[in-house]
Amino acid sequence: MAYLSTTNFLEDKDFVDKWLYTMRTGELDLSWMNAATEKLKPHEANPRRGLTYRDLDLGSYGFSDVPEKVRSNRSYAPRGAEIPEGVPDSQPWVSRKSEMWAFNTESYYEEAVSRQWNATTDIPWAHLEGAELPEATGKALSQLMTFLTEVEMIATDSPAMWLPRLNPEFIEVKAFIAAQAMDEARHTEVFRKRALTTGWGLMKASPMNEMALKHLRDADSFSEMSVALHLVGEGNVLTLFRFSEFLSPTDVDKKIFRLVMQDEARHVGYGMQHFKYVLENFPEKREVLHAHLDEAENISFAGSAATELTEAFIILSGGGLKRENIEEGIKVTTRFQMKQMQEHFERLEKCGMPERKNRSKLYQMFESGKAAAEAAGLKL
Amino acid sequence: MAYYADKDYTIDQAALQAAQEVMQGKLSLHWFDAKTEKIKGKPRDFKRGLTYDDLDIGSYGYSELPENLRHSQSMVARGSEKWGKLPDMGYVVNRKSDVWSDNVTQLYEEDKARRWVPAIDVPWASLEQTPLAHPMQSAIAQLYTLLQECALVSMDFPSRWVPLINQDFLEQKSWLCAQMLGWSRLNEAFRKRALSAGVGLGRASVAAEQGLKEWLWADSFPKGSLSINLSLGGLILAITRQVAAFPPTRADHILMHYAMQDTARQTAYGLGHIRYHLAHRPGEVEAMHAYLDESEHALVGIIASPELLEPLIIISGGGLEKDQVDVGRARVARFLKLAIGEYVERLEAAGLKGRGDRSRIPALIARLEAAA
Repeated sequence: MAYLSTTNFLEDKDFVDKWLYTMRTGELDLSWMNAATEKLKPHEANPRRGLTYRDLDLGSYGFSDVPEKVRSNRSYAPRGAEIPEGVPDSQPWVSRKSEMWAFNTESYYEEAVSRQWNATTDIPWAHLEGAELPEATGKALSQLMTFLTEVEMIATDSPAMWLPRLNPEFIEVKAFIAAQAMDEARHTEVFRKRALTTGWGLMKASPMNEMALKHLRDADSFSEMSVALHLVGEGNVLTLFRFSEFLSPTDVDKKIFRLVMQDEARHVGYGMQHFKYVLENFPEKREVLHAHLDEAENISFAGSAATELTEAFIILSGGGLKRENIEEGIKVTTRFQMKQMQEHFERLEKCGMPERKNRSKLYQMFESGKAAAEAAGLKL
Repeated sequence: MAYYADKDYTIDQAALQAAQEVMQGKLSLHWFDAKTEKIKGKPRDFKRGLTYDDLDIGSYGYSELPENLRHSQSMVARGSEKWGKLPDMGYVVNRKSDVWSDNVTQLYEEDKARRWVPAIDVPWASLEQTPLAHPMQSAIAQLYTLLQECALVSMDFPSRWVPLINQDFLEQKSWLCAQMLGWSRLNEAFRKRALSAGVGLGRASVAAEQGLKEWLWADSFPKGSLSINLSLGGLILAITRQVAAFPPTRADHILMHYAMQDTARQTAYGLGHIRYHLAHRPGEVEAMHAYLDESEHALVGIIASPELLEPLIIISGGGLEKDQVDVGRARVARFLKLAIGEYVERLEAAGLKGRGDRSRIPALIARLEAAA
């Protein structure tokens, strides 16, 4: 066993005898009644919104007063409880607030809980009865869904891997990350279900994307994982979802993309707020994050070279395989790629990293791509 | 950095050329005739929607998953065509019998269908109209403090394992993600209720936390699942039932009903999983017995901790007066007998025959019942 309790309670005679004594006599110890904790009572700020985590942001129980470096609690004790000698160390890797915190975390979590949807029943699957897509569009849609299933898989593993490494004092962040893992599992589910209802089954894996995407999970710190996952990965995917919703061949697909967009926007929102927070409160981390972005932006390059994805997107955008379809598809795909990169750099700038443009190879690609598109008469 | 992609795609000429060619309209369409099964899944019952069970078809289904996954270590979605160089994700749980349960898809569907929102589904405002005596407020704060410790560990457990479990078990991993959110929600509800008592949080429990950590850190998924899903899940289910039976307020009654639903699912998975594991790996029966011999003392650490036992007596008896405590300890004695009885029954039903005779806990409960 990886951990053995400091006491074997079945063999601790005093412990067992005390238990039996309490049950026999009804003489309670009650020392817990004198817990040295703050006595207060939270109230709903807005009854329609219910009792939120923000309403609990009071004194020693609140998140506002959590210090930058948490030294007082490494156990499983809830924040603000009395912590006696002898509680175990939960072995957190991340105990520094600026390495995980984001303004509004508690609200992102509350929103996630209230906006859970159900891929089984909230999508009008019945509308697919008799709705046959032409072969090219059907296969392209299935190929896109196959890719998205792969993406959502890594997006599930990454937050799950980090959750138990976060100090339990940061319960709102842990809660948000748990909600994100569930969101991503639902996304995997809905994309898989859609692929398997096209009639073409799943299609081909995307090796280049997979090789690049593994980087999302295997980061050295939570902040690095977050900038790669929440800002680069999910930021790109959010743009992809928006375009995909616009291009959706059926109302079922539109509904799917609208729902996943809600979730993804929340994840990107958290990622932006965290990025801003870490840059402001842990300035030494800026160079580390730049270096991580150098590698994370590699994902965008791999993505554009993964032809099984780009080609499928072109066919969906153009509506088919005829020459005019392909031409139209390339125009839409170019706009999409430019938009994806533009939004990426806008986000970084808003978070406090405007100098990223001067360093990034992706920004160079964006500039040259934009110039080429404009020279070809394409309005971006 | 722990991982670098196999290539720097920003300078890889082949990749840059491929990206350029496709945008010039030279489509390879190499994916167009993917060597995959062509199916069109549809709901068996449109009113119920499209479930994972509806897609248990051929190479896409979970029924045909082999016991040992030897050829899947990447992110590839089960049933799609693998080609090219794929990453190794380093999964260490690759045997179906280490994770599977025959009810896992139904539990996942049920979890999604029964979602609730602690902020608004518990009538917090009604607590203002239900003033309680100080001992009862303290007991509530203490009980819900301990339940937060249990919830935190229960949330960490699936999180620890999800990234280590092979992606081909996607339905089971999805269920674990649902568990993560489920426990996060319960942790939130317990915290809100504890603080609403007006006396602050209580004291963390050394005995409970020591036991919980030993369970959480079990060195294999089946052992951890036995401890966290079946033993701890079953215990919390019994506690929620007890509080729902003697609720200090309407809010507690409602909260505990939601908690019961969620913990019942956790226990059902724990039972189904261990049953599947032992049915397919009968050689593990003795190993699991030995693990329980070593680790079930943790259950005693939790149920006998004063931070759980004493508030439960006060809540069950309705207060701290002598007659109330007498009623409370009689009710708690029955609760413990029932909880441990169910615990043993579940283990036996899972395939650990003779557990009731081998475990030291039932004899202890008999002494305790006599004492009470």
